Amino acid sequence: MNSAPPLRLVIVGGGTAGWMTAAAFAATLRPDQCEVRLIESSEIGIVGVGEATLPHIRFFNRRIGIDERELMAHTHATFKLGIEFVNWARLGDSYIHPFGAYGTRAGGVSFHNFWLRRRRAGDTTPIEDYSLPIVASRRNRFSLPSEDTTSLSSTFGYAFQFDASLYAQYLRGFAEQRGVKRTDAKVVDVALRGEDGFIESIKLDSGETVAGDLFIDCSGFRGLLIEQALKTGYDEWTRWLPCDRAVAMPCENAGPLTPYTRATAREAGWQWRIPLQHRTGNGYVYSSKFISDDEAGAKLSSRLDGKALADPRFLRFTAGRRRKTWNRNCVAIGLAGGFLEPLESTSIHLIQVAITTLIDYVTPGRAFDPRTVEAFNRWIEMEYDRVRDFLILHYHATERDDAPLWNYCRTMDIPDSLKHKMELFRRRAQVVQYKDGLFLEPSWLAVYFGQRVMPDGYDPRADATPRPDLDGWMTTMRDRIDTAVNQMPDHETFLAQYCPSGARA
Amino acid sequence: MSAGPRSVVVVGGGSVAWIAALALRRTFRHLPLDVTVLDTGPDATGPRVHWTLPSQRGAHAQLGVGEGEFLRATGATFRLASEHTGWQGGERRYVHAHGEIGTPIDVTPFYKWIVERTLAGKTERAEDWSIAALAARNGRFAQPMGAEKELTASFTYGFHVDERAYATFLRSAADRGGVRRIVGTLADVQRAADGRVETLRLADGGQVSADFFVDASGAGALLMSRVDDTPRLDWRRWFPCDRAIAGLAPGEVDPAAMTRTLAGDNGWSWRVPLMGATAVGGYHASAFGGDDALRAGLERVAPGLRDVAVVPVTAGRRQKFWVNNCVALGAAAVELEPLAGAHLHLAQLGLAAFMELFPLDSHPAAEAAEYDAQMAAYADRLRDFTLAHYRAGPRRPGAFWDAVHAEPLPDSLAAKLDPWRASGRLTIADFETFEETDWAWLLIGAGDRPQALELRVADEVRKLLPVEAESLRQTIARLASSMPRHGDFLRRLHAR
Repeated sequence: MNSAPPLRLVIVGGGTAGWMTAAAFAATLRPDQCEVRLIESSEIGIVGVGEATLPHIRFFNRRIGIDERELMAHTHATFKLGIEFVNWARLGDSYIHPFGAYGTRAGGVSFHNFWLRRRRAGDTTPIEDYSLPIVASRRNRFSLPSEDTTSLSSTFGYAFQFDASLYAQYLRGFAEQRGVKRTDAKVVDVALRGEDGFIESIKLDSGETVAGDLFIDCSGFRGLLIEQALKTGYDEWTRWLPCDRAVAMPCENAGPLTPYTRATAREAGWQWRIPLQHRTGNGYVYSSKFISDDEAGAKLSSRLDGKALADPRFLRFTAGRRRKTWNRNCVAIGLAGGFLEPLESTSIHLIQVAITTLIDYVTPGRAFDPRTVEAFNRWIEMEYDRVRDFLILHYHATERDDAPLWNYCRTMDIPDSLKHKMELFRRRAQVVQYKDGLFLEPSWLAVYFGQRVMPDGYDPRADATPRPDLDGWMTTMRDRIDTAVNQMPDHETFLAQYCPSGARA
Repeated sequence: MSAGPRSVVVVGGGSVAWIAALALRRTFRHLPLDVTVLDTGPDATGPRVHWTLPSQRGAHAQLGVGEGEFLRATGATFRLASEHTGWQGGERRYVHAHGEIGTPIDVTPFYKWIVERTLAGKTERAEDWSIAALAARNGRFAQPMGAEKELTASFTYGFHVDERAYATFLRSAADRGGVRRIVGTLADVQRAADGRVETLRLADGGQVSADFFVDASGAGALLMSRVDDTPRLDWRRWFPCDRAIAGLAPGEVDPAAMTRTLAGDNGWSWRVPLMGATAVGGYHASAFGGDDALRAGLERVAPGLRDVAVVPVTAGRRQKFWVNNCVALGAAAVELEPLAGAHLHLAQLGLAAFMELFPLDSHPAAEAAEYDAQMAAYADRLRDFTLAHYRAGPRRPGAFWDAVHAEPLPDSLAAKLDPWRASGRLTIADFETFEETDWAWLLIGAGDRPQALELRVADEVRKLLPVEAESLRQTIARLASSMPRHGDFLRRLHAR
């Protein structure tokens, strides 16, 4: 089984998706198993704006052997403990979606039920106080989680906020060292095989023809291979996620470096703020139905922390998913595969899921078994659909009536799957559970509570503990979090000794 | 605090009914909740004995029942594994143990190494890499011990228990736990205008009212069949066996802590060790042979057979498991031959889901919808795992088996087997009772061979040096053979 010729993998498009794919394949498979080529044109810009990530990226890094400190220094990265959402349910509101659970379960009952019990009895302690990563975020503290899994300080995760162009650049170096061949050229033509419509080769503007076994389309929204050549089709979700434009503009840092990303709801969408070591990334994601490009750009530049460092850059997109992520011998990864706005920092995660799943599915000579392809597509679909429902919740569960976008979202019809989830939560504080997919109970809780979806009831089993025991348990929990956070260093101080910008590990 | 039920009546008299009643009583003992069992007597059409999953131990903890107490009172034995013979034709036999196969190679499961060796033309059996499997085959047993990652903790166990002995034992535990009992026969159901059940009328003229009802009466679904006329989903095209036979044979002195199944011409038979007896039985398709032949066949393999009964079975499940103020548990919800030993487990999944969704008011429609979705998923995943015993690996010849194989697989099972057959990949969906290792036991054991192994995985497993593999094999064999005899273990336990 080792005699099969190496799989010829051709990646079209650099950028985050392209170089993540190249790096992962080159690091995971041997050159006699897989030859990786990446075609990108230095004339075509990449979308890579500042990126906030999710803790899962650390699995990806570890799996392919990336040194975290070196990566962070190279990309001017900061740490991220969660996302702060401002103005989402009502103007003036703020909540944090943390990378970690609230409190601890007891007797098979999730912590929030005990919190709700005390709340009903008049206790006003916010649920935030029972989350170590939120308390740390509010105080701008950070340290790495403890490796002792019995310790409170091990009960959170972290991710990075970094410069995505530098991330792609870093991965390019990593991939090229491992034998990935890069070609600077544009694709001018795609040749399909007569018998089955598979991609046989692509023609470059240099005149070269590149043949391959498996083509990865990382060409961005336009989907050069998956759509333009293979006409795969796209399921559009604009009726639930109406934002279709973004404008990005970095600015100078001002104030402390926050260990979290901020998403502030605005009149026609929302604004991101991603603090890096050397600058702050900003952007306004908006719906073109409710605001013009010029106005959005003007609004964004008037709402920066510090001095703007570049002209506004505009992007267009359509929320949705390619009907088949893997079609014939082409897999669409990144924006070519689908687009969900970066409200929950899922872009890199969805790339990562596609890559790691794909690598696992590659077998000698059988990379295109239709059963494999179907299983792969089902998996990716599920990931997208579950993220979709979670994003819609942010828009729909609002009391805001001060702008047409919010009136639309508040009153729009939502997918039945989300309707059911919300009803069960409203009735009894129950989060519909699933094992697979990205966002689990703590995430849903953060957003429900943060968006003022307050349940009428809770799990009756939470009433079994006698009240004095419950009070003592919860007070101790809060005190321990408070103490643990006070022992953590300041985020900026930690960064300066751990991975200062430009330092070599 | 809530406007939820203040009284629950559980209909049924088998172990599922008593487990449900006692669990509800204990979980909600801080509420003013009255729990009554309308004891309709033993479930005549349900399984005669159970071979359970390890989850039964967790159930006992929840019920406040000690393991020694349980074993002594019921004459139950331990169960480390099942051994399946003849399902792929001939004498092919394989073990599915409640334990790990080998130890992970870095982060790659060890079973992939076995697949890789098989593809390279070597003969490897999963059972040689499992303490539980070797112990089971050699008549040994000990409880797992040691730290989480140690080989001596790499397995777990379930039980073999007689249904009536178990029900009697649980009934007295429920009685001590404050569950009320009314003996009677359900004659009629009185419902309110909105469809809610208000009162159960009994054949002796008595009646019992409650806010909520649990139907644990077995396949007859005495209560649910009166409140829900949605057609059942019929699974007979995949599971053509429509007769179950069971009886008791003399016990073995030195029984293995293992369930045995044997595929036959018209179905399959099973053999389960109990203290002082061996229970035997089978499932059989009447279209391919009569009851007399069934009985004769069983008597041939189990001389001295007594207490033989034949009952009809119909594989399938309800579409609705929660209707107004009634839920169905156990065979009243899902009827499936207990090949995988998950009969009680499935009932407990239903019970756990019900307690998690315990009504807070008198119109729990969202809870019912969620419950239905979860139960349908649990049942369908379990159906798939059970069906895989029939459908994995080479085909057994014969008219019955040809009919079994002629039926297309459910999409969800095809979605499981396809990636396995293409590349040795196992994906575990939500709501699966059985995990990746269980599927590996079954598919490797049945000789369902992937065409290739994922490149990355093949590279990983080749890192295991032959000398390391041999050392692991020897350690596992030594640990398994150092365990006491299962029979001795049980006798010591009973002498206490």
